[in-house]
Amino acid sequence: MLIELGYLHNPKAPPADAAVTAVLRAVERCRADGLPVADLRLYFDWCQYRQTFREPVVARASVGGGPGPAVREMAVDLRQAADTESLEALARAALRQLAPEAPPGPARLYLEEFAPLRASIIWRFNALYWREIEHWERTFRRGFEAALPGGKSDASNPAQVEEAVQQFFDGLRTLEKRGTLPPELFVLEIGAGTGERAGLWLDRFRDLADSHGKDYYGRVRFLLSDYSMPMLERAHGNVLHHADKVSFIALDALDPLKTLAFLRYKILAVHLSNLYDNLPTDEVARRDGRLYLVEGRAYVEDEAAAAVAERYGLPADGLRRQIELLLRIGPDAFPDPTAGVEFWRDLWRLVRLEERYVALEELEEAVTGLDPEVVTDCLASAPGELRCHLSNGALRSFVRTLPLLHPKGTLQVQDLFVTDLADYRRGFRGPGKLDGSIVNWVNGALLRAAADRLGYRVEYTPFRYRPGSAITVLTTSLKE
Amino acid sequence: MADRSLPAILPTAVVGSYSMPGWLERIKTDFFLRRISAHELDEIHDAVTKAAIKDQEMAGLDIVTDGELRRDNLVDYFLVRLPGVQVDHASKRFYYDFYDAAVRGKIPTAPLRLTPDLQFLLRNTERAVKFTVTGPHCLTKRLRNEHYASEPALALDLARILNLELRELVRAGATYLQIDEPYYSGFPEDLEWGVRVLNTMLEGVEAKIGLHICFGNRYGKPTWEGSYRYLFPRILEAQVHQLTLEFARRGYEELALFREWKCPFELGLGVIDVKSPEVESPATVAQRIQAALAVLPAERLYVNPDCGLLHVPQDVAFRKLGAMVEGAAMVRRELGAA
Repeated sequence: MLIELGYLHNPKAPPADAAVTAVLRAVERCRADGLPVADLRLYFDWCQYRQTFREPVVARASVGGGPGPAVREMAVDLRQAADTESLEALARAALRQLAPEAPPGPARLYLEEFAPLRASIIWRFNALYWREIEHWERTFRRGFEAALPGGKSDASNPAQVEEAVQQFFDGLRTLEKRGTLPPELFVLEIGAGTGERAGLWLDRFRDLADSHGKDYYGRVRFLLSDYSMPMLERAHGNVLHHADKVSFIALDALDPLKTLAFLRYKILAVHLSNLYDNLPTDEVARRDGRLYLVEGRAYVEDEAAAAVAERYGLPADGLRRQIELLLRIGPDAFPDPTAGVEFWRDLWRLVRLEERYVALEELEEAVTGLDPEVVTDCLASAPGELRCHLSNGALRSFVRTLPLLHPKGTLQVQDLFVTDLADYRRGFRGPGKLDGSIVNWVNGALLRAAADRLGYRVEYTPFRYRPGSAITVLTTSLKE
Repeated sequence: MADRSLPAILPTAVVGSYSMPGWLERIKTDFFLRRISAHELDEIHDAVTKAAIKDQEMAGLDIVTDGELRRDNLVDYFLVRLPGVQVDHASKRFYYDFYDAAVRGKIPTAPLRLTPDLQFLLRNTERAVKFTVTGPHCLTKRLRNEHYASEPALALDLARILNLELRELVRAGATYLQIDEPYYSGFPEDLEWGVRVLNTMLEGVEAKIGLHICFGNRYGKPTWEGSYRYLFPRILEAQVHQLTLEFARRGYEELALFREWKCPFELGLGVIDVKSPEVESPATVAQRIQAALAVLPAERLYVNPDCGLLHVPQDVAFRKLGAMVEGAAMVRRELGAA
């Protein structure tokens, strides 16, 4: 049996010896009952997010892979499992589910069939959130930033913005000295947020350029982009005083080059904040040297689903249809849209993911759109047993942004990065829920490997402008 | 006996490198990771070089190169052959990354052993050939100088060694040599000594000499942006016959520099954008050549891509060359020189 105590690395996780003991007691009882437990894997996490897609105890097994024993493992979220008595019972139930002839599992309303995580219905909920954010914020009377750990986005941290502007300005002066300053200075922000950062950036840039007697501000073209029109509208209000410098662009963050191909090799600074962590991703697990793709199936416990249906006056068998209407139309699918948002929130809190591992014969099967060789090399550098994100969305966005960079341009990303694959064994990295959206840490090691292969250098530095921040800053530029 | 004659006007050629297949890139990386032997890699290089030559012939080029597929990049292939240059072999992960290389003493004179590459090329084609060599300025910029008093001093020693190598290449049959100096564009302030050491490199070399200057093509991306204006008037002192420049990606406005400075050189005109996967049409190529004909007579024009095709996928590279050849033929026909 393999036991991984991932929670030990989390300073916020309280002592869990009692919980671990309770689970081991459940294992012993199952062994006494004749269940096969010797080749089990047990994972103990302390999930830092208030809401996740996990039950306190989950069981998962592998399918496919030919002859040889299937992978069977149990994962415990110690944050949700404070009561050791119920934990032991949950663990025993989960272990029984892993037995070769398992009894029927708990009654669940499944929202989809098993699929790679990037294709799960949970991403439709995530898209709904950004599309209908005004409904959500109006109903619950708080902005989306309030769900972030600091209650405010680090994107608009004044000290960080000031330093970024200074670096940009210094770069322009170098180009000017060499006689290679472009006539137009393109700057791109992907993910407009509230527009506060753009406003701050332009304020500071104008002041700095003016104080040095440079005409740079007059030449700047600031492209503020987002795929959510409501977000672009909101950002507009924060840059009104720079109106002739800013262009608002509806842009798919997964493919910036598609929209901005005319600016290939022309953009001097690209910035993103907390966007990659909100893009669809798959996960892979390596067990005994074999790679598995993690598939998920979203569900709501039957009992909880019935309660929601009753609360909103829906027939018990009409819940799935109503969810589909919500995802397609939004809260306006309800006679009272406010009730629609409340239904959405209540349901979202209940959505969980059942998982299974699907054996991969070839990595290419799992990395559609990614360079399998880069992924293979990157995973080969990691410790033996590993489960990590492929960060498909982030990687695609990153790779499709790099060609926009001017040879002396810089791409900067503030986000939750796992820069060392070994860190995947030292704590929970998502998915978690932030209000109506999803958060996953981004596989920074994979981004670095991809950039390296494409001729770019990636550096990671801690976000030092807010004490205790988990944010890391990725900076990319062309290799010299 | 091979007939290596050229058309009367607008001969076509690649700049130097031909498309690197993805699998070859992996094999080269395997070599750096000690997964295959040098002997195996040599055999693979021979095979892919023959294929690159054949592709150029099939595309219809008048002048062919060896495709430079033996080279990691335009720098390391030369640096590792220079005695006295200390190379940190652990310093690169992918084959076209640059080594960390340093000079810690005077570089001794010794051959670079490039002639076998030229002889292989001559054995495997009956067309006219061009052989490319990286210039002393570029090599100097990639070397950590821990011995010489200045970069020009280091470059001068490199130029002397390269001069001997060029003479050796001429003895082995080279009639058309191209010197690559892309780093001029990154360090325009070096141009004065850059041209000086270039001329040292070319002293007594009895061959047609082209000088290729671009804005970088590392990993298929520009390394610098700017204008060729910085070249003038200093470049007029270069003892070369031809400048080979990139225009297709950057536009043809700077052709006017040739007129403005009464530039006496031939022009290797870039008509294929090697940083775009889009395949140009023959008509587009013809238009680009016509734009140059407004500035230079056809007798002084060579037709080539902007830069090496190393990073262009093979099928795209082949079709681009086909369009280039056809575009040049269209203009020849218009001029009655078909």
